[in-house]
Amino acid sequence: MTLNRLLTVALLALAPLAAAPAAAEGPATLTVTFTVTDAPTGQIMLSLYDNEAAHDRGGKPVAQAAVPVQQGQAVATSPGLAPGRYAIKAFHDIDGDGKMGMTPFGMPTEPFAFSNNAQAVGGPAPWSASNFAVDGPAAATSITIR
Amino acid sequence: MMLDRRELFSRALAAGLGASLPAEALAAGLAAAAQPQWALALGDVAADIAPRGLTRLHGRLPADLVGTLYRNGPALFRRGDTAVNHWFDGDGLVRAFACHDGGVQLQARFVDTPKRRIETAAGRIVQPGFATPARPGAQVGSADDTNAANTHVIAAGGRLLALWEAGSATAMDMATLATIGPVAFRPDLKGMPFLAHPKVEASGRIWNIGLSGKHAYVYRLSAGGALEAGQMIKLPAASYCHDFTMAARHLIIVLQPWLHEKASLPFSTGMVWRPEQGTRVLVIDKDDLTRQRLFELPALFFFHLGDGWEEADGTIHFDGAFDSSPLFAVEGAPALVEGRYPRSERPMLRLVSLHPDGRARLRDAGITAEFPRNPGGHDGPRPTFHVGGYQPGRPFARSIGRWDWQAGRGQAHDFGAHQIVEEFVPAGPWLIGTTINLKARATELHMMRADRLTDGPVASFRADVALPHSFHGSWLAA
Repeated sequence: MTLNRLLTVALLALAPLAAAPAAAEGPATLTVTFTVTDAPTGQIMLSLYDNEAAHDRGGKPVAQAAVPVQQGQAVATSPGLAPGRYAIKAFHDIDGDGKMGMTPFGMPTEPFAFSNNAQAVGGPAPWSASNFAVDGPAAATSITIR
Repeated sequence: MMLDRRELFSRALAAGLGASLPAEALAAGLAAAAQPQWALALGDVAADIAPRGLTRLHGRLPADLVGTLYRNGPALFRRGDTAVNHWFDGDGLVRAFACHDGGVQLQARFVDTPKRRIETAAGRIVQPGFATPARPGAQVGSADDTNAANTHVIAAGGRLLALWEAGSATAMDMATLATIGPVAFRPDLKGMPFLAHPKVEASGRIWNIGLSGKHAYVYRLSAGGALEAGQMIKLPAASYCHDFTMAARHLIIVLQPWLHEKASLPFSTGMVWRPEQGTRVLVIDKDDLTRQRLFELPALFFFHLGDGWEEADGTIHFDGAFDSSPLFAVEGAPALVEGRYPRSERPMLRLVSLHPDGRARLRDAGITAEFPRNPGGHDGPRPTFHVGGYQPGRPFARSIGRWDWQAGRGQAHDFGAHQIVEEFVPAGPWLIGTTINLKARATELHMMRADRLTDGPVASFRADVALPHSFHGSWLAA
């Protein structure tokens, strides 16, 4: 991993702190643990959403991050989140090029997953299946990417 | 009707016993009685078929016919209280008929696909397919999660490739039929569509296409099955193509007016028949895929094309099994799973000729035909071997035929009303193929002289099991 990418990872990980709206009940911290099965290398690229419209209809995530895979696992931490419902779309960037690999027909070639390990059915899992609660200082979820 | 006596008897028996039978047993009994004999062609195979010998019925295995006939076709249509909605959506079962030392050994194994694993775990049919909808519990992260690997099997590079059309080829071990896994011809081609009908040059080089809407990806593989080149081309229409064809210097993509108009699952719900648009034939120079010509024909529907050949003046000919509409695909094949036959198949053997002046012409052989196979080579006309004898009242073919376009005549052998005849493939001077004997309720293997079909099989063997109707296969000489 290059220094440049390390910096990007650090910046992306910090992004939610600045982006998080003011929280009435005090900010929450979310820890996401990824387990990968295809290759023990590369990185996890993830997008965190805080509403159904953005998640299901191509809107903006509240945060994005890239975290390195080490020994088949990766951990992302997003502090400063407003308590509420969130959902994650993630993929395993096996070759570490920072992009989802695509076939000439635009279909993904790198493994992907959604929060709650919600299943894709001909497209990304919908918010209704992948949203989960983030409340308190130590919210956690785990996602397996296979 | 005389033939209804047995059914009347069954009903009378069921009605008489009705008072003492639980309702489900009565319903099951009636359902079983109502199943036509041909339903064996869409029966369920519970598990892999361990190696076993076939019984010789008559004749002798030709001394020069040593090798294995590999065949593939759907063989599991129902799980629990669920069923697939279409003949094309059953799990692929690859069968190997090994011919040697005067005898035949059969073994068969299901292709171990994600679809099969998911549905085995669920105990139900849940994955979407050609015409089967996704049900609760479906997992579709990629097209390969719906891949039934049930259409064709070829050998390349020392392994078998079980083929479908909307996803990867699946590699299998030639000796054990164990599934190795999906094949990515290059990392960025993982999960790409790969039609079930690759075309092979005399050199062994393999051409194939994969389709997505108005785009085709053209694969050029070595004889060993390694990717030599791949290129995307744009098509004038988002047609359904189960097959394409090839002449010596050209690839030929026939764009029938059954068009993919919306992305929806299952696949067939996005198709619309637009006969007013006619059929377009795209001819592509194999040496430069950007050099293309387009020909026009009336609206035709087809699944399968024969090999093409070119004349010195540039005229290209190829034949195919053409129907007048996709009604069999839309209504006929789904009903077969339920034991119904509401619509007769009438695939007709026709020759397409594409002339240098831009005209396209159709000629009729005047016979029903499907599963056309040619002996290989694209430098001149070849006989077309085909199944045929389609008749109203019963689905599937009952004869094997040979048609010679140069002579304008053919010959055939009728296996009879009690036989369902599957594709026969050329094997040197022989034709080899399978039938389902509805009287014996067993799969049979037959060998015929390719130039004397009217003599009937020179040898026939019978398995101790009835395997459902297979689609396509390959002969591999030992």
